[in-house]
Amino acid sequence: MTRSRLAVALVVLAAVLMLVPLLWVLALSLKANGELMVDTASVFNGRFTLENYRNLFGNGAVFRWIGNSLIVSLGMTVGVLILASLAGYGFARLEFRGRDALFVIVLLGLAVPEQAVIIARHQMFSWLGMHNTYQALILPGLSAPFGVFLMTQYFRAIPKDIDEAALLDGASRFTIFWKLLLPLTIPAQATLGIFTFLSAWNDYWWPLISATNKDMFTLTVGIASTQMNFAQTEGLGFLMAQAVFAGAPMLIVYLFFQKYIVQAVAGAAGR
Amino acid sequence: MRALWLLPLALLGSCASPAPDKTRLVIQRFFGACEAEYGRATDIAKAEGECGIVTTMINRFQAENPDVDVVENVVFWPGYDQLTAQLAANDAPDLVTMHGSVISDYQARGLLEPLDADLAAIGAPPASFTTAARTAVTVDGRAWGLPIDTWAPLWHINMNLFRKAGLVRGGKPVLPRSPEELYAQAQQFRERTGKPYLVQGAANEYAGFTRNFYTFVMQQNGTLFRNGRATFATPEGRNALQLFKTIYDRDFTTKNQDYSAAVAGFLKGDGGVFLVGTWMVGTFDAESRKTSGALANGGYTVMPYPKLFAREATFADGHVWVMPRSNHRRPGERAAAIRFLKFFAGHAKHWARTGHLPAFQAIIDSPEWRALPHRDNLAILATTAQPLPKQVRRQFPIETIVGTEAASAISGAKPIDRTLSDMERRVNEVLENL
Repeated sequence: MTRSRLAVALVVLAAVLMLVPLLWVLALSLKANGELMVDTASVFNGRFTLENYRNLFGNGAVFRWIGNSLIVSLGMTVGVLILASLAGYGFARLEFRGRDALFVIVLLGLAVPEQAVIIARHQMFSWLGMHNTYQALILPGLSAPFGVFLMTQYFRAIPKDIDEAALLDGASRFTIFWKLLLPLTIPAQATLGIFTFLSAWNDYWWPLISATNKDMFTLTVGIASTQMNFAQTEGLGFLMAQAVFAGAPMLIVYLFFQKYIVQAVAGAAGR
Repeated sequence: MRALWLLPLALLGSCASPAPDKTRLVIQRFFGACEAEYGRATDIAKAEGECGIVTTMINRFQAENPDVDVVENVVFWPGYDQLTAQLAANDAPDLVTMHGSVISDYQARGLLEPLDADLAAIGAPPASFTTAARTAVTVDGRAWGLPIDTWAPLWHINMNLFRKAGLVRGGKPVLPRSPEELYAQAQQFRERTGKPYLVQGAANEYAGFTRNFYTFVMQQNGTLFRNGRATFATPEGRNALQLFKTIYDRDFTTKNQDYSAAVAGFLKGDGGVFLVGTWMVGTFDAESRKTSGALANGGYTVMPYPKLFAREATFADGHVWVMPRSNHRRPGERAAAIRFLKFFAGHAKHWARTGHLPAFQAIIDSPEWRALPHRDNLAILATTAQPLPKQVRRQFPIETIVGTEAASAISGAKPIDRTLSDMERRVNEVLENL
């Protein structure tokens, strides 16, 4: 009993320690920039303001940037789920020449950092005249070797007896995939979907150089563009309001999907 | 139901539709966004701060030129990744803000349009610029932009502490005229106030080290670059580093403060002189008009770097409007861009309120500008502010190399002579691999 109470106390302490920086960010976002420039300890003097949030929402483009981020993140998530599921099924269940070699090639994609291909990718989209479009922001993210690997492993873990029984009953390959196996992969789909959505939402570099028209900025690029040269000094409160604002959608996603996120993280740790 | 899904897309699409029968002018700039406060402002005289003034100027231009559809792209400072990407995609904006120190990088690759004839046509020929501003935009004898301003590092002085230290004479701060005088005054300052003479943002902030190094080598008539190669390992380079190493060793400076902490420290009275650029003049002056605080009751002034060696000189840079080269730009769009440059030049006096040095000599000579707080002290910068030679490309990465190396020498982590040779070698490696 004493041991379990001690464990709870430690967990609560760890949770509080995790929360302190977030609360600090929130508190700073509610302070006037001028006060913070002189002393960040002014957080404790009790004078708070919503001015930073007013300035943030006063920029009419913010809502467009949120819309862009939603379209890109959702588009990429849906695309990755479809492609990774199909590829994963193919690698796990279908026999074809060069399958293993192809799988290795796909996995090699995990070892290639984005920085290594960014110039070639930029040039390619430039030739196609696709910069400053949703396609340019979504398509590169659809190449998701991790997703293919995850789904392949998940399909492999499902007993083949299910497929064989269905084949005997005259089901087609697609029916087996669509009606029998895909529903069994929902936990993996949730994991992959959440991670894809989060990484697409937080992506900064590719949108920075592909979406150069402010109407096509995603939220990360848009809010960065509103910062002054010395934002961390002269506009600290505004900077923190931006951080809160950019993080809020993720918090909402977590609240709705926390069961799957916890499962995903636990599952990843278990494997 | 399907239509409902398409509604947000349709709404987003409608936001981007161009205005019909108008010439589109894409202006890309840094200086941040302040749409909430200045989104509709057109009275330039009432605007404050870099963002406020530039936003209001663009609004005013739009209001006075209804035939032009101004698209204002605000980019995260300094925005060069985006600009490079746009140039690679042949989708360059019509006008872009650029640092003078960066111009030669783009000009050498044929990515900028020369503007000599246009500047003359709008009544802003290079001859009307200050020496510093003209140098900033001139490469190979041609002007590659309209200078917005010149900025330089300055000595921001806490006059309240200077008075306490006995370093005020006739209402003016007493500044050193040699390294030895600097050490003596710093010693006196510490004895009488208990505080270090200098406040420096030196943690994770290398640009300050570089500006100090350049400035004091320039003051000794030293050569930083010759024939496109760095020449740092010189007696002048050694003296410049030794100056700041002595300041550090004898605790004449605050230590371990990053930029934000140093600004806060100066505002709280941590030391006598803060080494930072022109952009802080307005902020500190506003603090000095208050009745409480370390700078209160007029306890602030600002001066150029003192002449510690052979001549007056301060390293400087500046902001410039440039026109990226584009195959797609139509004559009407180019004309609209030049019209904006004329408008900006015509209202340049307002930009001077940011604290930066005006780019036009006539503004510096005007009583209106001289009447602004502390500007009389800074007018000399029009002739003493000195950028690096235009042949030096990659000045941003070079600044980081010089700064990190200088920091290691000043903190004692590396001997000065080895630092200078490492600094020179690393910079030359960058220059050799262009």
